Amino acid sequence: MGALLEVVNLRTAFRTEDGPVTAVNGLSFSLDAGETLGIVGESGSGKSVTALSIMRLLAQNASVQADAIRFNGSDLQTKSEAEMRRIRGHEIAMIFQDPMTSLNPVLTVGEQIAEAVRLHLHLNRADAWNKAVDMLDKVRIPAAAKRAKDYPHQFSGGMRQRVMIAMALSCNPKVLIADEPTTALDVTIQAQILELMNEMQRETGAAIVLITHDLGVVAEVCRNVLVMYGGDMVEYGSADQIFNDPRMPYTRGLLASIPRLDAAERQRLLPIKGQPPNLLNMPPGCAFAPRCDQRMTVCDQKVGLHDFGSGHVARCWLYEERR
Amino acid sequence: MNPGAPLIEARNLVKYFPIHAGLFSRHVADVKAVDDVSFAIGAGETLGLVGESGSGKTTVGRMLLRLLRETSGEIFFGGEEITGLSSDGVRKLRRSMQIIFQDPYASLNPRMTVGEIVGEPVRLHGIARGKAVEERVVELLKLVGLRPYHANRFPHEFSGGQRQRVGIARALAVDPKFIVCDEPVSALDVSIQAQVINLLEDLQSQLGLTYLFIAHDLSVVRHISTRVAVMYVGKLVELAGRDALYERPLHPYTQALLSAIPIPDPAVETRRKRIVLSGDIPSPVDPPSGCRFHTRCPIAFDRCAVEEPLFKEYGGGHFAACHYVEEHGGAAPDLTRGPAVISGS
Repeated sequence: MGALLEVVNLRTAFRTEDGPVTAVNGLSFSLDAGETLGIVGESGSGKSVTALSIMRLLAQNASVQADAIRFNGSDLQTKSEAEMRRIRGHEIAMIFQDPMTSLNPVLTVGEQIAEAVRLHLHLNRADAWNKAVDMLDKVRIPAAAKRAKDYPHQFSGGMRQRVMIAMALSCNPKVLIADEPTTALDVTIQAQILELMNEMQRETGAAIVLITHDLGVVAEVCRNVLVMYGGDMVEYGSADQIFNDPRMPYTRGLLASIPRLDAAERQRLLPIKGQPPNLLNMPPGCAFAPRCDQRMTVCDQKVGLHDFGSGHVARCWLYEERR
Repeated sequence: MNPGAPLIEARNLVKYFPIHAGLFSRHVADVKAVDDVSFAIGAGETLGLVGESGSGKTTVGRMLLRLLRETSGEIFFGGEEITGLSSDGVRKLRRSMQIIFQDPYASLNPRMTVGEIVGEPVRLHGIARGKAVEERVVELLKLVGLRPYHANRFPHEFSGGQRQRVGIARALAVDPKFIVCDEPVSALDVSIQAQVINLLEDLQSQLGLTYLFIAHDLSVVRHISTRVAVMYVGKLVELAGRDALYERPLHPYTQALLSAIPIPDPAVETRRKRIVLSGDIPSPVDPPSGCRFHTRCPIAFDRCAVEEPLFKEYGGGHFAACHYVEEHGGAAPDLTRGPAVISGS
C-alpha cells in the first residue's frame, strides 16, 4: 500500500510589497497511515506554511505549486473548492496553536462541533448534538452535556484545546495536522493534551503530523522527524536516528543548544551563531551555511539529499565530498 | 552590608488586586496573586522562580522592583527596608535594580534609536553627560555583543535575539546589582535562546550580578539557577538548590511539573514515567481551601483540604509546604505508583 499522504516538490511563495518570498522550496515527504510525523523548525522555516499549503488554506497572495500532493492516491491539487471542503475537517483535520482565535466566539462549542458533524457525516440536528457531547466527553471535559452549551470564552486554555481536538476528531479524520498544539499551554496541561492525542490516535488510528519547535515534545510522541530550515527539509529520519545520530550540522547544533532537564552537570550551552535566514535574501546554496561551523566553499552551491540508509536522509555537502 | 547577608529579601509578601463591579464600583473580590511569600537571594546568586500562568511569579518580580506596591509584607535590599520608600527613594533605588522583559518587541520604543534607548537611563540618572553618554552606549553595546554602529538603528531593524540584547544593554546602563529577568528567552527561537542565556551567564560573572530568573521553562531554569523556587496559585510550594530540587523534589506539584517536561531524547522518554495531573490550574480569585494544590494532588488526604501546610525546611535549605512531607519526616511521596501515572509508550 502506498503512503496515505505524499507531498512531492512543494513550492509555496508569497507576493509581498518587498518582492516574492519563497516560504517552502521544493519540499517532499510522505506519511503512512497511523504514523506520527514531527515537523520541527524555527519561525520562518516553512513548517506551518507547508500544512496550510496542503490544506489549501493560504491567502490570495500565495502561490502553491507541487508535482503532487497525493492523499489516498488522488492529487489534492485537482480537487475543486467544493471537494476540498469535503476533505477538510472530514479526511484531514487541523488543530491550531491558539484555540481562542480558531473557535467561533458567538457559537457554543457544542454547536460548532455539531455543525462539522452534520456537514460531513450527514447526521440530523439531534444526532449531531449527541455526537458533539460524546466527543466532548471523550476528550474528558467534565459534565460534557452541560458544557456543550457554553461559549469558548467560558473555557480555560487547556479546555479550549480539548474542544479543538474533539472537533478535529469528530469526523474520524485519516490525518490530523496539529500546528503547535501545546505551545500556548502550561506544561502540566501540555502533558494532558499530548496524552489525549496519543490515546485518540490509538483509538482511531489517525496519522498525525505534529508541527512544533519543541524537540522534547517530538521525542515524546513522534515516530519520524522532519527537520526544516529556510523552507526546505534538511534532515529526515526516525526519532532515534535524529536524536542519537543527527547528521546535518543544524540538527546537531539545535540539539546541543537546548538545556536538558536531566543534565547532571551545569555545562555551558553551545549556541548556533548568527540569526535565522531572511526569506527575502536567502543564501545561494545551503541556507544554513552562513551559521555553520563546518562551512566549506562548496556550501554556496545547492546540495541534494544524502541517503544514510533505513530512511535517514540529510542535506549537507559534508557527506557528498566523502564519496 | 555584612558578608553572607542576602542582597534582597522578601518577607511575607502579599499582593491582592481588588475586583470592582457594579454601578458604585463596589469591591467584590480580590485576585490573590501573591499570598504570603518569603525568600532571600544572596549576592551573585541566581534564584529561579518557576510556576505556571497565574502562579504570581511576575507579580513577585514587579513588587521587588517597586513597580507594584505590595498589599502587605516587607522587602529588604542590601539590609535596608525598601517597602514604603518615597517615589524619590524608588528612583534612586532603580540604579541598583533593573528588569529585562519577556517581549523584546513590545518593550523597546519603536520611535527611538537603540542609542537613545540605551542612553536614556544613563542621562536620566545623571551617570554621564554629552559625549560621555555616547561612549557609555558604545561600551554597553559591545558588552552585550552588538556593534557600535547599531546605536543609530531602530528596534525594527533587529531580529528578536538582537532586540533582547538591546533590552539587556538598557538594563545594564545604570550598572545595577540586581536584575529581574522576566521570561527573557521564551519569546526567542530555540537556536537564539542559548545565545542569550550564555550572555546572561557571562555578564553575571563579569559584573557580579544577582538575578531573579522568572520562567516557565524548567530546563532553562535548571541550567541557569543556583537555587529554584516553585510557585503555585500565589504560594511558594518548594524552594531548594537546583540539583536538590530536580533530583529530589519533595512537593507533589514539583514532581508532576518536572515529569511533565519532555526530554529531547526518545530513549529517555520511553523509560520515563509521567505524572499527569487532572484538572485545571485554579483561579487565584477563589483559591482552594487548605493546601491550594489539593484539588489536583494525587495523594491529597483530609487534612489537605482544611489546613494550610507550613513552608518548612527539611534540611540543607530545602523548603516545602506539604502535609504529606511533614507527616513523613521530610520524605518525598512516591507518585510514580499512583493512578495518575502514565508510563512511556
